[in-house]
Amino acid sequence: MNEGIKKKIIENIDKLLAKKAEYVDVRLVTEDNSESIVLYDGNLEGNDTTFENGIGIRTLFDGAWGFAATSNLSKLDECFDLSFLNAKSAAKLVNVPLKMGKKKGHTGSYKSPVKKDPFRVNLKDKIDFLKEIDKNLQEEWIFKRYISANMQKKNQIFFNSEGTIIDRQLTDIFATMMVMGIDNDGEMQRRSHELFSYGNGTRGWEMLTKPDLFSSHSGRIKSELASLIKAESLKYGKKSVILLPGQGWLQVHETIGHPLELDRILGYELSYAGGSFVTLDSFGKLKYGNEKLNVSAYGGFANSPGSFGFDDEGSPERDYLLIDKGILVNALTSRAMIREANEKAGRKVFSESGGAARSTAFYRAPIDRMTNVNILPGKDGTLENIISNTEDGIIVDNPTSWSIGSNREHFHFGCEIAWEVKKGKKTKILRNPTYQGHTVEFYNSLAAVGDKSTWRVGQVDNCGKGEPNQAMELGHGVPVIKFDNVITGERK
Amino acid sequence: MISKKIKNIFHAVRKEALKNKVQATLSYHREKSHLMRIGNNSVSLNTSEDLIRMDIKVNIGRKQGTHTQMGDITSETYAKKALHLAIEKTKNSLDLDFDPIPDVIEEDFVQKEQYDKKLETLDPAFKQTAYKKIIDTFGSGYNFSGSWSSGSTENFFITTQNENEAYHLLTDQNFSIVLKHPKKMWELTSTQTGWRKSDFKTNGTIKLFKALIPVYEKKGGFKVKPGKYTIVLGPTATAEIMEMALWTGFWGRTWEEKRGWTTNKKPGDKVLGSNITIIDDPENENTFKFKFDMSGKKRKEFHICKSGILKNLMYDSQTAALFKKKPTGHNIGSMSMTMKSGTGNSSFLKEIKDLGTVLYIPALHYINIPNPSEGIFTGSSRFNAVLIKKGLIVSPIFSTRITDTFQSVFGNVKTISEESVSVNLSNTYGRRSPVAVSVPSYMVTEGIKITDCADSF
Ligand SMILES: [Zn+2]
Repeated sequence: MNEGIKKKIIENIDKLLAKKAEYVDVRLVTEDNSESIVLYDGNLEGNDTTFENGIGIRTLFDGAWGFAATSNLSKLDECFDLSFLNAKSAAKLVNVPLKMGKKKGHTGSYKSPVKKDPFRVNLKDKIDFLKEIDKNLQEEWIFKRYISANMQKKNQIFFNSEGTIIDRQLTDIFATMMVMGIDNDGEMQRRSHELFSYGNGTRGWEMLTKPDLFSSHSGRIKSELASLIKAESLKYGKKSVILLPGQGWLQVHETIGHPLELDRILGYELSYAGGSFVTLDSFGKLKYGNEKLNVSAYGGFANSPGSFGFDDEGSPERDYLLIDKGILVNALTSRAMIREANEKAGRKVFSESGGAARSTAFYRAPIDRMTNVNILPGKDGTLENIISNTEDGIIVDNPTSWSIGSNREHFHFGCEIAWEVKKGKKTKILRNPTYQGHTVEFYNSLAAVGDKSTWRVGQVDNCGKGEPNQAMELGHGVPVIKFDNVITGERK
Repeated sequence: MISKKIKNIFHAVRKEALKNKVQATLSYHREKSHLMRIGNNSVSLNTSEDLIRMDIKVNIGRKQGTHTQMGDITSETYAKKALHLAIEKTKNSLDLDFDPIPDVIEEDFVQKEQYDKKLETLDPAFKQTAYKKIIDTFGSGYNFSGSWSSGSTENFFITTQNENEAYHLLTDQNFSIVLKHPKKMWELTSTQTGWRKSDFKTNGTIKLFKALIPVYEKKGGFKVKPGKYTIVLGPTATAEIMEMALWTGFWGRTWEEKRGWTTNKKPGDKVLGSNITIIDDPENENTFKFKFDMSGKKRKEFHICKSGILKNLMYDSQTAALFKKKPTGHNIGSMSMTMKSGTGNSSFLKEIKDLGTVLYIPALHYINIPNPSEGIFTGSSRFNAVLIKKGLIVSPIFSTRITDTFQSVFGNVKTISEESVSVNLSNTYGRRSPVAVSVPSYMVTEGIKITDCADSF
């Protein structure tokens, strides 16, 4: 790090403290690079890079946050002043003062485990790799092919007025392949695969080139699409639904992850993302699901986009349970939110920050986000075991559509593909599957949780939340999960 | 306003591109953004960002690449370095199997008619005072939250194809407030939009809440049974459903690739009800006006759907090149989608007094499209949604899901309001790029499918 800038940052923090700022934190992003490569029907339609750098400063004054950001580091002093002025003007309308509490300063660093920095791999090699997969997806009867890779690298230093300094280098890689075909009714069907992991390993370019995580799935999605375009549509009814991890991660994301963000629970997200059916009273009491449901945050995964060492308040990421044998016990939290929650509840609902305060760019202030929100593997065996114990159901994979109630109390999902299960046997493929339910009722009808053999980590690069809006990266470790008595298909 | 110095740097980079015999589009994007967030009757965030981006798009024969840089654009060396990065990545890319259509700025464009310095430099105290007045009017027994974004967006671009310049400067604001009952959990909202500071009126929000609070305070929530209903869709719901119908039914790309609900139709065919007309009208004052698109093409009134007939599909230049069609001025930028108003009384309660049971759903939360080929969308009610009988509001309704098709919602419209309103559909995920549509203040549509309802708001 440039020692001159570091010195200037610390001097400016001290200057704001002298003006009675309660707390200040700074994110200096020296490099925030992203690259996106898209092959559509073999054409390189996306060949884009974005490089950003700059500084974001957050100041707490009289219980209110002010924030300012600039991409011009020669305007550093002015940016500090503006952040302070913004906090001061915000403080004129405060009924519930925000407080950070006192913490001892600390230093730390984190680096995503990477063998091959994707930004140091030749563009030509990257395109050649994707082109090779594209070749494997090509068939006369396939109407469209899509392959994309999205790489991100962020180097940033966090400072706060408690003396904390954290240095982080985060690298992420995401990829999708998809084939599309026309079905019997002339409608488009699709089948896709997304880069995933088993929670361990590294996450540089080498992750994408591991065949079992990505390229080897091209044959499978083609043959599934071949059946899908000849299949009948799923009919309306009530039956068991078995979610493969390709769909399970989104179910967990939308109906466990989002409703457990503490800022949502406290009502800070109402004007955009929405609220939560969970209240402070629910913790320790609410039977979110039956005893088969165990949900954790972070999970200590080495190589997930939801593993980042320290959050954007400098708090270390923590591994803890959100739901313990069906009972709601914790939330996704940050420092100011847990203080406010405990004060409101009149009891210590949360003992410390969950390390979930995250911001997507230097020009965004941190909010409560998911890290990795995971369903722990269960005792109901393999996918085959679960199928053999199912009388009347469907297996579904990969979302096409998701629509969730504003308090996350109900949901409707559409998926790419379903397999019918009758009397313990997988029978035929069905197209246009949808299912819907009410969150608490749904998780209380959890009928089976697959073992470790069914468990994998899904990667997410576009979770939207906050104002100004922020699209965040995170992960979800999920096994195969089965629910009974679910409404499937659309009412005529 | 972009300085002479920065303009000169862009022209120097253009010369450098010409010297290197590449086709390039060089764009400048500056946002001065301010946003105030309210949570728990307090300002929870007061944020300012001043961000400058340089976008470089390079074509070399059939190869193309883009690079965006945010940082020090005041240095010519820095800007030229970014160009060479873009050239390098383009050289290392693949030939497309079609000839891309180069960006050409058709004439010198300067547009700043929707710019208000007072809004660009708005003191955060103005927002804080307005929120305080609203909160004080109804008391902190209710829980207020909201957000208010305002700022300016400046676009400037040149290409290697000719000497023309395109310049656009715009201010915009997007205000929202949510009033929530802390125990009964119902929520009301008010939103306002516009390009002038004076477009915001505190009393507009106060008047709306005063009208709705008595109904919500007196009556519990109504649980709607699944089935078919006559529904009055308010402006936000109409705007969002229309936007999704446009993406999946009227985009050249979706249509050419047979991915949407108009796949089996062609221009000239009837796709929606005879009373539905949708135009992209860059002169509409309810929208953010762009007289050119981001490829430099001049934009004028463009008929998409006239009296239910599919008139024209929208093509960006990439899709046009791919499918050998003509671009229609729809490269990313702000579009001015306009649904024509009708003859309905501007008060929908008067209009529907003979209709019996009606649901009023002004906005839908989290709309998505489970089946674009069949035009099926789904979303649920949230704010300000009520049950109406014989023109009188009976009670608020619980969170209620609509799952139906675009063809049905825009095919069974009984009445369309005579009044048009602006709905701001901007988000702030990427760069500031304001977009608003003009829609009737309500439309009454029949036989719409309600598929689920919660036991709570
Ligand atoms: Zn999300």
